[in-house]
Amino acid sequence: MATLIEHSSILIIAVPLLIAFLTPLIGMASKKARNAVVIVGLSFVAFLVFALARDVILNGIHTYTLGATSPSLTIPEGAMMPIRIILEVDGVSVFMGIVVAIVSLVAVVYSLSSMKGETGQNRFYTLLLLMVAGAFGMVFTGDLFNLFVFLEITSISGAALVAFKTRFADSQEGGFKYIVVSAVASLMVLFAISLLYAQYNLLNIGALAAAMQYTMLDRIALVILIAAFAMKLGGVPMHMWLSDTYSVAPVSITVLLITVSQASMYALMRIGFILYGVTLDLAVVGWIIIAIGILSMFIGVTMAVRQTDITRLIAYNCVCESGFMLVGFGVGLAVLGNHTALRTYGTTAISGAIFHMINHALFEGLLFLVAGAIFYRIGTRDLNRMGGLGHTMKFTAAFFLLGALASSGLPPFNGFASKILIYESVYQFNPVLTIIGILVSIITLAVFVKAFFSAFTGAVLPKYEDIKEVPKTMIAAMTIFAVIIIIFGLFPGLIVDWIVRPATDALVDQASYINTIMGAIP
Amino acid sequence: MTLIAESGYEFWNPIIWLITFAVVMVIVYFFRKRGVEKYKKGEDQTKIFLCGEEVPGAEQRQVRGGNVYWGFFETLKEYYDGIVRLHTGIVNDYVVWFVAVMAISAIILLIVKLVG
Amino acid sequence: MIETLIRNFPLVAAVVLMGIGLYILIFKRNLIKIVMGITILSSSVNLFLVTLGYRTGGIAPIYTDAPEGLMVLPVVQALTLTNIVIAVATSALILSLVIRIYRHTGSLDSKKSRRMKG
Repeated sequence: MATLIEHSSILIIAVPLLIAFLTPLIGMASKKARNAVVIVGLSFVAFLVFALARDVILNGIHTYTLGATSPSLTIPEGAMMPIRIILEVDGVSVFMGIVVAIVSLVAVVYSLSSMKGETGQNRFYTLLLLMVAGAFGMVFTGDLFNLFVFLEITSISGAALVAFKTRFADSQEGGFKYIVVSAVASLMVLFAISLLYAQYNLLNIGALAAAMQYTMLDRIALVILIAAFAMKLGGVPMHMWLSDTYSVAPVSITVLLITVSQASMYALMRIGFILYGVTLDLAVVGWIIIAIGILSMFIGVTMAVRQTDITRLIAYNCVCESGFMLVGFGVGLAVLGNHTALRTYGTTAISGAIFHMINHALFEGLLFLVAGAIFYRIGTRDLNRMGGLGHTMKFTAAFFLLGALASSGLPPFNGFASKILIYESVYQFNPVLTIIGILVSIITLAVFVKAFFSAFTGAVLPKYEDIKEVPKTMIAAMTIFAVIIIIFGLFPGLIVDWIVRPATDALVDQASYINTIMGAIP
Repeated sequence: MTLIAESGYEFWNPIIWLITFAVVMVIVYFFRKRGVEKYKKGEDQTKIFLCGEEVPGAEQRQVRGGNVYWGFFETLKEYYDGIVRLHTGIVNDYVVWFVAVMAISAIILLIVKLVG
Repeated sequence: MIETLIRNFPLVAAVVLMGIGLYILIFKRNLIKIVMGITILSSSVNLFLVTLGYRTGGIAPIYTDAPEGLMVLPVVQALTLTNIVIAVATSALILSLVIRIYRHTGSLDSKKSRRMKG
């Protein structure tokens, strides 16, 4: 067991890759065997993630040097800097790993019945596992170029999956927009990484953080990295591709795309807090991120109220929730150098933003799964054509109500827990931000009342008289999300103490990140 | 128990939430039990009554999703016209916004370096 | 000033290529031209990467039968090769999506393949 945990970080990336390429072979023989192998593989990966999480939270940062004689030999004999690719797993990496593990398992369970009857299912599972491997790689790596490679893996397989149902014209267009936006963002990220390499001759995040002097070229690289990762996670004004892409993808893929956006936000925070740390102009960069966050909150939710397509509505709500996380992180970054402010409200803001990441994946995932269930039964996503579905699709309606109440931040659901952390801490930084946040939450509730009212209430329309409930695997997938939402909502203190506080401490503690790589050389 | 924020003024106990939920469910059950059980379904007792007028079919009666919140949209008409016109959906405009954000952030950081 | 521009000519060329690539992505409406813009952008980053490793008078970084002298940096060459492979995969995917869009909508104009709000 100890060797399993020692090698678990590379196994978590390697097992999905292996199964991704075994899936077409097994799928040629039997469909059920392929589905079973995929689910068993992802369950094993989830078990490894939880074991690694427990080990990291109890024992500290976990490194894995690829190609060395022992996994923790980060600097070889007689060298002054790390020369191999190093996976460095700390509290916030393993938190994102938990999010990816839960969401990928639910997505595969849901797609067992939502993808029934589609051709090319072998390739669907291959691409899905590639995307999961890419997401794990992005959050576990400690090397900038490795981050770029896994970012590209995730983008390419994600775009192919968005355009998977080739009989619809708008999914092709959504996939095209996604790959163009991703390619531009990734190439600019590589340009910024090469600017950093040109100055310091280092690619490892810990070693670069130790050697960072904040020169003019470093500022240019920072600006490019912030803009590119903000575009990947859907921050206004670069958010318009998000509603086009999330509304037309198959719903199990949309749920994973949300996780990939969270991984981009993780990368942005890793660069801000750990790579640059306190050498930044903290107030200015913090306020730039807060400004992007406020715009995202406001424009996201006002556009969401206006939509008549149900998945587009939920996608604009995703933009709004990303805004909340950006405001939390921005406040944390702005007070990073100020010890009293950091201890009083900075860490609470960062904890709220990190907790909101997993809550966002859960309740937006649940809402998208419900929208996918409606589309599966009646074949349209237009709110103007739906009505009275709640009479027969009782479970689906209940899950939509649960997701809607959680998203608006009503107790006792999980949205309330993370939003109250953000409101209380951001209020001490600047009260106007909290007031805008509360107003935006109220409009979020209005958005989902509109969607619930149009889709589920009212008399049964004559053309929908024989609509039944959706298949059992879809209900099972939605139930997993709903149960986790209720548990996180009723016991937020336990979750914050177990997984969110270690993540926050890891994110503000640049010194231990550097010392794990460089070995505490004075 | 299980507090999350640190202002010291809050109280959160999941057992109290569950007990409240159970009590409310019991009250709802008692309300439903006092209802009338013997009614004729499908006859005039369960039909919609619109002051004696003709009740249209479900298709015409349903308020569609696009018509909800009409007053809100009318009040904010100028804001919505501007914002919806900005969301063109053309891929080239997405790259324009990216370059614009990069340029504005670079100018802000440059001014801060020159001043501070 | 002209002296430094001429001495660092490959870096200047890389930045000019990046400008051309972004110009194509912003102003050209044909979907195939957008793909070409992404490819030019990728080439510019590759050129920038390879130029970073150059040392004046350096030889190829191969140890077998190596003559005396300074070697150019090999790490950037590995990064460039990886980026070339990624660009190949991206181009293949994006061109197949352009073919599908053409078959569905019959036009290659990015103004016609867009979805309105509301």
